[in-house]
Amino acid sequence: MTYTGRCLCGKVTLAISGEPLTTRQCWCRQCQQIACGGPTHNAIFKTADVTVTGDLAASAWDAASGNVLTASFCPACGTHIHGQPSARPHLLVVRLGVLDEPHGLKPEVVIWTDDAPDWALIDPALEQWPQQAPPAPPPPDSVKA
Amino acid sequence: MAGPGYVGSRHTGRCLCGQVTLAIAADPLGARQCWCRDCQYLASGSPTVNVLFPEEAVRYSGEVSTLRMVADSGNTVERGFCPGCGTQLYSRTLEPKGQPMRVRAGTLDNRDVLPPQSYIWVSSAPDWASFDPALPKFSKGPGSDPVA
Repeated sequence: MTYTGRCLCGKVTLAISGEPLTTRQCWCRQCQQIACGGPTHNAIFKTADVTVTGDLAASAWDAASGNVLTASFCPACGTHIHGQPSARPHLLVVRLGVLDEPHGLKPEVVIWTDDAPDWALIDPALEQWPQQAPPAPPPPDSVKA
Repeated sequence: MAGPGYVGSRHTGRCLCGQVTLAIAADPLGARQCWCRDCQYLASGSPTVNVLFPEEAVRYSGEVSTLRMVADSGNTVERGFCPGCGTQLYSRTLEPKGQPMRVRAGTLDNRDVLPPQSYIWVSSAPDWASFDPALPKFSKGPGSDPVA
């Protein structure tokens, strides 16, 4: 396994066999609600690479991106495990906090900065988007503009 | 669960799905970000952002699930969340008693009610964490060793 993880109470565990396509910090208002007031931090994996064990509860909403976003969480402790946008079922947006450390992952891209509160501290060295980022992350060997 | 001090709402809030609403009859006592590892689980890899209120002034309506744990601090805490959407609602300390309730800032309708004033548990923050240099940092809980 490349990465393993769990929820806070341990009833849900994860095993991930690949590397993330990208990692993001998302400041959309819905993420602030589920993430206790800050952004969510996410590692986006291929759905096929992620095995989740244990019961999951889910909530779906119309995200500002235009997707229906289904967010899955542990019903025993409320830890959010992953999100899945309706337009890209082959991708799973795994919440960074559930991954066992040390995992070496950190946010590379910040999205929905339009929704960030005034007190938000956003690393100026990171790529930033006022709203949604372009849908497909670039291949790893491409040259960034 | 209105406390005896409840007289009306100065602040209101809700979870993401709207099943739980909250009304708070007092002004905040403080606000801080917590980087303890438990909080990073609950906050999708971020610190929790908490606004502190007297517990008796906070009223929740709707179904609230709870989880009791011994936190990194050694205190016994109860964390409440919405069973419908997993939105974390609050953390309160069962033992020792007398501590303010930590309302998750993401649930407040007015998220600018009080910006964070300090960082706690920075000893467990990841290397990439960003900190406002104007705000105090504590290695562990409130009142623990300050971090430069």
